Amino acid sequence: MIQLYHIELRYDGGIRALRDVSLAVDRGEFVFLTGSSGAGKTSLLRLLFAAERPTAGQLLVAGRNISRIKAAQIPRLRREIGVIFQDFKLLMDRTVHENVAVPLEIAGASRRETRTRVWSTLKRLGLGHRLDHRPRALSGGEQQRVAIARALVTDPPLLLADEPTGNLDPELARDIMDIIADANARGTTVIVATHDPSLLARYRHRLLELSEGRLVRDALPRGLASREVVGQF
Amino acid sequence: MRGRATRRLVTAGRNGLRGFWAAPLVSAVSISTMAAGLLVLGAYLLFVGNMRSVLEEFGSDIRLVAFTPEGAELPPEGAAALARDLVGVTGVAAVRFVSSDEALERLRGELGGDAAILEGLERNPLPASFELEIEAGGRSPAALEAIAQSIGQLRGIAEVRYGEEWVESYALFVRVAEWLGLGLGVFLAIVLGAIVSGTVRLTVHARSDEIQIQRLVGAGGLFIRLPFYLEGALQGGTAAGLAILLLYGVWSLGLPIVVEPLEFLLGPRAPEFFGPAQVLTLVLFGVGLGCAGAIVSLLRLEERP
Ligand SMILES: Nc1ncnc2c1ncn2[C@@H]1O[C@H](COP(=O)(O)OP(=O)(O)O)[C@@H](O)[C@H]1O
Ligand SMILES: [Mg+2]
Repeated sequence: MIQLYHIELRYDGGIRALRDVSLAVDRGEFVFLTGSSGAGKTSLLRLLFAAERPTAGQLLVAGRNISRIKAAQIPRLRREIGVIFQDFKLLMDRTVHENVAVPLEIAGASRRETRTRVWSTLKRLGLGHRLDHRPRALSGGEQQRVAIARALVTDPPLLLADEPTGNLDPELARDIMDIIADANARGTTVIVATHDPSLLARYRHRLLELSEGRLVRDALPRGLASREVVGQF
Repeated sequence: MRGRATRRLVTAGRNGLRGFWAAPLVSAVSISTMAAGLLVLGAYLLFVGNMRSVLEEFGSDIRLVAFTPEGAELPPEGAAALARDLVGVTGVAAVRFVSSDEALERLRGELGGDAAILEGLERNPLPASFELEIEAGGRSPAALEAIAQSIGQLRGIAEVRYGEEWVESYALFVRVAEWLGLGLGVFLAIVLGAIVSGTVRLTVHARSDEIQIQRLVGAGGLFIRLPFYLEGALQGGTAAGLAILLLYGVWSLGLPIVVEPLEFLLGPRAPEFFGPAQVLTLVLFGVGLGCAGAIVSLLRLEERP
């Protein structure tokens, strides 16, 4: 699903957010992307949906070469990727329903299809009663779930989540991880960027760790288990 | 797939309407400014258009008059022979003989109550003449000049007169007015286009978050731009419609007041309002301006976030 070969991302100011990163993620995998703040997690995710272009290296997502993708091809790529943004990026003057409907409208879904999909997705996320509210009237956890609903409403093959449990209490965090795990169980490839150790401890998934833009660890669940014993319990 | 594309367009259209209503005050100011500009342009076009039809109408009964020498008696055979010669001149469509008696009768008619001054005349001082109708192709000032010259050379013709100067200067006036109108049109197109462009830019600015979000979840360029084009087109079209309605109102109410002072330019015939084709052209002009303004304001919208 995703392949990176010697990817480098250098921002205009000269900061190298990613250095010589090579990795591959298969279809259907669930991967944690971790590292301290500023390690380059968000930058890596932004590369995957072509919000940034690598300054060096090759990058393939869903069979497309993103390092050389044409601007006109980007919308089509993005329609196959659900992104949960760290700052949600909700439209504050639209209702919950309208926010979640945006990707379907862009995809050209019929009104009827849009209505049923939005409704069933929001219901699954426990927001069935919030359809006509505006995001401002919702709690942080509810806004987070609206953002997740928008990312999942099109059943995308790839889901990218940037700190989806950041500043949520543990119970809400678990709910949200359950929703994401549920999407993964139905076939969506998932990458969750987080610097929350308790999350990594609780869920056993492949772990990619970045440090100052370098990939310093690529550990499978068994390795993760041993770390849990040493570090957490 | 086709259905999806259509639905995408419909959604983009809905977003455009939303933009139109989102800032009603901005839209209203933009529309009324444009309407004012288009009103000026429309009024000017009406004026020029009517002058032009005067010119065309005058052209259709343009006449040359060839006078025989004063005081010379012209026997009927002589008149018939001259008429034959005149019809033979290229460009002349028909000839009508006006005897000196008929000319005097006409003058008497024109003088009306003052005809008494003619009573003291010992003999008729008016020469006989021929009124010539000119073929459609020969009505330009240059062609008239040529015809007048060949007729002047005929034996038995003393003088040729036609409305040369009047036609020429009026035609020049109309032509200048048309050029000025074109200039005004271009000027207004730029100014009004800039107004729409400014309004649309405001909307783009107000909706920059939404645009960014739409992009991030996969909206294509057209999906993002179309609402703004539509908003511009809607503003331009509404403004043009408004301008035409206003103009028609002013026309119906104010025409009797302006017609008299302008009669020397427009002639005695009743001026005409725009026909359906012209109304449509004006509306399309407004719509085009709106679109162009929107396109200009979106030129700098980046393709990538
Ligand atoms: N748009 C940008 N322009 C310049 N530097 C940036 C930009 N975005 C991120 N950075 C820098 O790149 C590095 C990686 O940032 P980021 O990918 O956001 O890390 P993380 O998500 O792991 O916290 C940081 O040093 C950050 O300051
Ligand atoms: Mg980040």
